[in-house]
Amino acid sequence: MGKASSTGGQVKASTLRRRKTLVAYSFILPNLIGFFVFTFVPIVFSLFLSFCEWDSGNPIKFVGLKNFITMFTNDKSFWISLTNTIYYTVVTTPLTLGLALFLAVLMNKPLKGRVFFRSVLFFPYVASLVAIAVVWMALFNPEKGPVNGILMALGVANPPRWAASTTWAMPTIIGLTVWKGMGYYMIVYLAALQGISRELYEAASLDGANGWQQFWNVTWPGILPTTFYILMMLLVATFKSYDTMYITTQGGPGEATKVLAYHIYNQAFKNAKFGYASAVAMVLLVIILIVTLIQFKYEKKFTND
Amino acid sequence: MKKKLVAAMMAAVMTIGLLAGCGGSGDSAGGDAAADNASAGDAATEDAAPAEPQQAEVAEATTEDVTIKVALWDYSNTEYYKTIFDAFQQAYPNISIDVVEFTADEYEDVVTTQLGGKQDFDVVFMKGTPKLAALVNQGHVYAIDDLLANDADFNKDAYAGLVDELSLDGHTYALPFRYDNNLLYYNKDLFDAAGVAYPEDGMSMADYHELAKQLTSGEGNDKVYGAHIHTWPSNVYMFPARTEAFKFDDPTTYENLTAYYNEILAMQDEGLVQDYGMLKSSNIHYSGVFYNQQVAMMQMGTWYINMLFENVGEGKENNFNWGVCSIPNNDGMGLGNCIGGVTPVCIGAYATHPAEAWQFIKYVCGEEGAKVLASCGIIPGYSSDAVGAIFDAAPETYPNAPEGLSKYMNCEKNLPEQPMNAKGGEIDSIIQEEHSAIMTKSITAEEGVQNMIDRVTTALGQ
Repeated sequence: MGKASSTGGQVKASTLRRRKTLVAYSFILPNLIGFFVFTFVPIVFSLFLSFCEWDSGNPIKFVGLKNFITMFTNDKSFWISLTNTIYYTVVTTPLTLGLALFLAVLMNKPLKGRVFFRSVLFFPYVASLVAIAVVWMALFNPEKGPVNGILMALGVANPPRWAASTTWAMPTIIGLTVWKGMGYYMIVYLAALQGISRELYEAASLDGANGWQQFWNVTWPGILPTTFYILMMLLVATFKSYDTMYITTQGGPGEATKVLAYHIYNQAFKNAKFGYASAVAMVLLVIILIVTLIQFKYEKKFTND
Repeated sequence: MKKKLVAAMMAAVMTIGLLAGCGGSGDSAGGDAAADNASAGDAATEDAAPAEPQQAEVAEATTEDVTIKVALWDYSNTEYYKTIFDAFQQAYPNISIDVVEFTADEYEDVVTTQLGGKQDFDVVFMKGTPKLAALVNQGHVYAIDDLLANDADFNKDAYAGLVDELSLDGHTYALPFRYDNNLLYYNKDLFDAAGVAYPEDGMSMADYHELAKQLTSGEGNDKVYGAHIHTWPSNVYMFPARTEAFKFDDPTTYENLTAYYNEILAMQDEGLVQDYGMLKSSNIHYSGVFYNQQVAMMQMGTWYINMLFENVGEGKENNFNWGVCSIPNNDGMGLGNCIGGVTPVCIGAYATHPAEAWQFIKYVCGEEGAKVLASCGIIPGYSSDAVGAIFDAAPETYPNAPEGLSKYMNCEKNLPEQPMNAKGGEIDSIIQEEHSAIMTKSITAEEGVQNMIDRVTTALGQ
């Protein structure tokens, strides 16, 4: 269509550009409307709400910075959730990334039955989180679970009580998240690995590089952009995650697995404090914004893009 | 660089957008509500005193054909709703019922969100008092003071004080449909086999502990536990709450919980009850352990009577005789008070037919509704001799059931498990969190109770 009009020759360049722009916008529009109505407007409303008190029934009351002051000075749960969120993110992200890369490198080798193994590793990602969580909790049941059964058979007298202990509840959930997510990122890494030219490896082995050296000098630079992509996806996903906790521990025992997003959910939909919940959401937004900015900066530096 | 900044912002914004997505309907509906809040807000507060003309319409409106919208949960799998609704429609042929059903787990949150969007439900069933109080505070519930006062057939005394418990700031907002007080259920066959006398009304916690010890036997899969403490915090605080030593929304009474927690933790340590952490991570339902005769005693709400009728008996999978007594306490109370959950039914603030909604509520929460509930083994909020007689006759239909059930339903004082308090939901979350920390022995009972005191005091002060 564009070609036909450009060969016409009579149409002015500016008109052409405008028409092309219009066509482009018309393609973007359906998505943009959806984004605007269901994402942008609620977020702007949420930003506005963060300076207000609102219980969804009574009129919205403007309270200035009160929500933020309460949050930082008088809400222990906020600080606990913030710490838990950072703990969850800082452990989950590198663990998933590392395991996904390790598995991808392994699955990229001419291994017998690798299609089978790839499917097995990818399976938790496809399965429903609820199903996966039930299986995981059954495996790690403190009294009757097979994991503690094995540990006790191996001579561990007092195996961890997993989700029933404030110390081990978070690691249990992190384990579940890593298990569920690593298969997907492994596939992403596999695609990146297969994009690296075989010639580079041949050249490297001619130069006498061993497997480890080949990994650091050929593979790693080749998959660095993918690593940054995965890192960002993981950070964002873990920061906003609360579904796993909701299904497994409801934030407990105590507040051991209460994360920011869960705190927001509770404040808004359980306690009907929409203004306060929005204020906490703004803090989460700022954190994610900062993390993403730092990442963009480093991505530029490392990938020489 | 500028592009990158924009991209980063978009990424962050979308993340929060996903969060907002979980409450999408709430936010977007809220947006509309916010827009006309300036005017509607005033109207909402006026609902506390319904206008006179609406009262006058009551008598006349009954002959017109109207459809009332009724919000509730578990409609499709609960027989008695249909029985009562059918009976209502025969009595009031001009009023049709449009049932709006939501899933049980999320019911209260969904209904709150829907009312936030000014959904025109005429009748709203609620699961308990905390969310009802929150709805009242948000102006989503129609006050029924005038309806109560002008209705000559209405007999408030039949509710043993429960109607007053459903008031907030001097206005009444609902009628109690069901009142499920707490009882101690026991397996008579297991007691007979162990040669131990059945538990009696007025046991102390120490008696209960001792009895559980005598009834615990076996190992591994054959183990019988003397008692069962389900994972809800109410299964601990209900003991002192029945004697009013503990009050849900008064943190100064919380320290009375410590002794109860320590007793129950000791029972858990001695293996007389199943471990909290195990129950929680396996999501074990309380009903099965008692049906399967794995436990000799269990504290549970009176809704369990109906479940036992249905699941235990001759020709069923489980067959044993069972009995009930009042829950133990350290204050020497025998039958006396009852404590339990109320199922209130209220009129939505945006109802199109509040007069017909009142007729409906009065019917389902009155003698007719109560009789249907009683015949299903469900305890109604309304009590009368006729209703009590239905329970006393239970062993004729269900031979495994005990005699004289009605005395556990006519209490001196009917206390709600959670009083009407707009911050009830928040208090509940705090107690749940600390309860889980105490029961998993992550902190001591003393520390946990202190945390409850501190946090609830802060929440109430905000």
